[in-house]
Amino acid sequence: MSRIGVFVCHCGENIARRVDIERVAGFARQLPGVAVAADYAYMCSAPGQKLLRETIASQRLTGVVVAACSPQLHEPTFRGAASEAGLNPFLCEMANIREQCAWVHEDGVAATEKACALVASAVEKTKHDGPLQPVEVPVTKRALVIGAGVAGIRAALDIAEAGYEVTVVERNPSIGGNMSRLSETFPTLDCSQCILTPLMVQVSRHPRIELLTYAEVEEVGGYVGNFRVRIRKKARFVREDLCTGCDDCVAACPVAVPNEFDMSLAWRRAIYLPFPQAVPPVYTLDADACLNARLTSGNGEYRVLACERCAQACAPRAIDYDMRDQVVERQVGAIVVATGYELIGAEHAAEYGYRRHPDVLDGLEFERLLSASGPTMGELRRPSDGRVPKSIVFIQCVGSRDPRFGVPYCSRICCMYTAKHALLYRHKVPDGRATVFYIDIRAAGKGYEEFVARVMEEEHVVYVRGRVSRVVRDGDRLRVHGVDTLSGQALQVEADMVVLATAVVPQQRQGELARKLRLPTDSGGFLQEAHPKLRPVETLAAGVFLAGAAQGPKDIPDTVAQASAAGGKAVDLLSQPRFLREPTVARVDQLSCTGCFDCERVCAYGAIERRELHTPGDGRLRFVAEVNEALCEGCGVCAAACRARALDVLGFADAQLFAQLGAVVGAAR
Amino acid sequence: MSAVADWQPRLVALVCNWCTYAGADMAGMARRTQAPNVRVVRLLCSGRIDPLIIVTAFEQGADGVIVSGCHPGDCHYVQGNLLARRRLTIFSELMDFLGLDRRRLQLAWVSASEGVKWSQVVDEATAAVREAGPLRGFGRPAAGAPPVRFPERPSAPRPAPAPGENEATATALRERAASLLGGGEVAVVAGYAAGSLPGQMVPTFVSDAAGTEVLDWNERCLANLSVYLPELLRRDGRVGMVVKSCDAKAVLGLVREHQIDRDRVVLIGVPCTGVRPDGRLAAKCYPCAEAVSPIADMTAGTAPAGPRAVAPDPRDAEIAALAALPADQRWDFWQGQLGRCLRCYACRAVCPLCYCETCVTDRNRPQWIPVSIDGAGNTAWNVARAMHLAGRCGDCDECARACPADIRLDLVNRRVASVLEARFDYRPERAATAPPPLLTFLPTDPDGFR
Repeated sequence: MSRIGVFVCHCGENIARRVDIERVAGFARQLPGVAVAADYAYMCSAPGQKLLRETIASQRLTGVVVAACSPQLHEPTFRGAASEAGLNPFLCEMANIREQCAWVHEDGVAATEKACALVASAVEKTKHDGPLQPVEVPVTKRALVIGAGVAGIRAALDIAEAGYEVTVVERNPSIGGNMSRLSETFPTLDCSQCILTPLMVQVSRHPRIELLTYAEVEEVGGYVGNFRVRIRKKARFVREDLCTGCDDCVAACPVAVPNEFDMSLAWRRAIYLPFPQAVPPVYTLDADACLNARLTSGNGEYRVLACERCAQACAPRAIDYDMRDQVVERQVGAIVVATGYELIGAEHAAEYGYRRHPDVLDGLEFERLLSASGPTMGELRRPSDGRVPKSIVFIQCVGSRDPRFGVPYCSRICCMYTAKHALLYRHKVPDGRATVFYIDIRAAGKGYEEFVARVMEEEHVVYVRGRVSRVVRDGDRLRVHGVDTLSGQALQVEADMVVLATAVVPQQRQGELARKLRLPTDSGGFLQEAHPKLRPVETLAAGVFLAGAAQGPKDIPDTVAQASAAGGKAVDLLSQPRFLREPTVARVDQLSCTGCFDCERVCAYGAIERRELHTPGDGRLRFVAEVNEALCEGCGVCAAACRARALDVLGFADAQLFAQLGAVVGAAR
Repeated sequence: MSAVADWQPRLVALVCNWCTYAGADMAGMARRTQAPNVRVVRLLCSGRIDPLIIVTAFEQGADGVIVSGCHPGDCHYVQGNLLARRRLTIFSELMDFLGLDRRRLQLAWVSASEGVKWSQVVDEATAAVREAGPLRGFGRPAAGAPPVRFPERPSAPRPAPAPGENEATATALRERAASLLGGGEVAVVAGYAAGSLPGQMVPTFVSDAAGTEVLDWNERCLANLSVYLPELLRRDGRVGMVVKSCDAKAVLGLVREHQIDRDRVVLIGVPCTGVRPDGRLAAKCYPCAEAVSPIADMTAGTAPAGPRAVAPDPRDAEIAALAALPADQRWDFWQGQLGRCLRCYACRAVCPLCYCETCVTDRNRPQWIPVSIDGAGNTAWNVARAMHLAGRCGDCDECARACPADIRLDLVNRRVASVLEARFDYRPERAATAPPPLLTFLPTDPDGFR
């Protein structure tokens, strides 16, 4: 006979305000199998957990139900407490009477009735719980870092420094990410390249880091501790082991195409190094641009020319037109996703003339114009005619905080980088006029508010609170129509250049990667963390961690902090000799199994194996299904496909669901 | 206040842990007020949901059920929701055909960030079920429900075979069987022989060449012999079997489900003009264009050359007549039908694809299907049977023929099959090459989820 203890949490006023706690406890007390029902102000607090532990011991409980918040928040807490009291943790269940009851209902009577039903359901589930032991799986001592911007670089270095092997996959020919594009960084104005380049070199030289640039993750299989990753190394047509980085090929190449690294503000050759400090310092031949007919291009364009000028110019004979994409496989125990961000497309800024007037730029384009390694060598000149702009208008919140035409969220970094832009502009062009249109200034960070104040007061940048309605061409200048909402007056500003602080969005192809990793994304398309506050670098896919702007817009300090946190989490996982997996896996009743293997057809993990079985009675030999617990994720798709109901899921068993249905529908009726 | 005014709809929501449950939590964190009528039962994945779970929720007293999981493409378990989408699409079409008000079964994709959508789903589902009213109990057709009138069955597209034709086939059949048995190719031949009643044909099993004299063939050879195949193969190793075109689809199903080894079965095809159970051509034979099954290893006699006359399946008109009724009346019709079920399980015994060691209806921990011969138990059993055969049924109609209570199981099977064909482009003869349609999916599958 079950002896279940029910503990109803007030959560201060959070639950008690709506739900009649005493009634719920009283209701629980009379349920068959319930030995004791208690309530407490905060069950998750130390005294609350102590009450739980002591009651388990004193009442010799066989199961525990905690009616409190969501199991996604505190199930581990209460299972841990039960475990300390000597009860198998899987004999502890939660009834979610906060998020899914007290917080969403106004009628106290109905909320109380629902809370009773949820408690009854949890009690029924607990009655059919069995003690479960975690499944132990080995851990491969290698991490994969996807993306090598500053987040990926930091995470990779941290993991490698802790003594574990790391494979870094970067889609572009060089590591460095968006940070390597930046001129100087707020609020300290260090040169971005100067602080990033040493880290880039460190990554490339580290004995425990394998750097795969110009490569993409193609497929991810396996599970925490034992991921199997297929990586496509795109053909760069230049042998990394032979290339000396001499630049002779570039001088020979007749083709010019826009340089993506410079946001297409400058040209590069078909064979190129994206920027001088690129790591690895190896040239890449762009198959889409090259004239050589032997190259297979992604765009399928047919080429007839047999240009081999770069090969002829290359003394070490590093160029190989017959190189093909190569797929390599790596076994890793943990994955850090650091795919970064990009800026929202031009279609969201049409009224500001973006892509119609060459002198309307977005933030990253302006960074390249300011950068010493940029197309103008750091001299600020207009893309249209090369003149030094004497007046620049900066427009903030382009796309951000704009649910109708852009994204609803705040991109977090724009207030700061716009202030930085204005300051750098005033330094480069001391007689230039800088005007910033803003909605409000969000400068929440160490030294940030002071920085913005300095820009406003000492650098004489004009801040106008208000929005811009449109930007129109006026001769060879631009005219910005806006409104100053503090004075309520419409105004027009003459400008030589307009810089848009466009919204930060996830990398375009991040969704594709998220699907491969089975990661949920939020409404903005950013990768979803396991808990917004308590598990900000973990994901719901065990063993996969998040770093940087892939999880949401953030500045460099926050990105680096999160990258180190993700690296630490990965190291925590890799340092364990064995990983303990949730024992909520499928199990086969082999005597009932008919051997149809429909389960095998639906299992996404290849967890169903075939076993020979001698049937009791007639002794004939037949094949039946068996679950490989190291591979099973416990989804139960097999159980739904099994007509014989030979398959069941531990912890979410048929018997539990059946009893729960009876309880939620029948209880308190 | 009257009892009706006091009535509060009760809904059960079966939700996945990763998306919808988290989305429901999100609604809480954002304090999105919602109707208090929905009770959430958490599973790990929507792909875990066996239709019996939903049937049980209704049977336990739920007036409505919400099923919700991750959006297509977002499944935490890669594809569980896409499998759920197919299974639940078929299930909801079946329940609609059985007369369950569509408002009572709500399907929705809700992601972990869609707290707002979840509260809308809860409110709208509650309002819809409130409108639909309390679920009328299982097995209790309203008193005085008008009988359903089915359209007159059109005349058969083909005449009955002349006695000479049958005799020629039977002679060739005996020769084939004798040669197979005599040459040791098979240890037993399953065929038909005259029964003890006038005109009756019964299954017979011949294990030596001399015994083949009893084998016969005519349009009254109704049984689907493939139901015996697994047992015969276990006992005798190699088996010859007389096969009609319709029966052959069950053989394909048994091969696909690893129940028999096709290499150890010799299928003797017979030129069949259609079976005539009561002198009239069986409905399943109207549209049948195959005189001899294309998977037969040999043919007894000669197949008629050229295409033959076919006509639309008359059951389709009957299904259309039922579908045209209001849901309430369909519910009454089917509850009247299912109310007659004796739970004799003749349908199960005669079905070649019901081969489980222990049938779900005989399982009692938990007792998904009530044993009592009442509306609840009978409905659960017949829904489970139909769902278990969805995408597997070869359309031999033996269940309907075997049913002593004359329940129109053929209409149920046919309805499920036609939904499978319309939605997922699946037909029983595809069993040779295609995976079972409920065990696969396409990202582009039609979506009844909101």
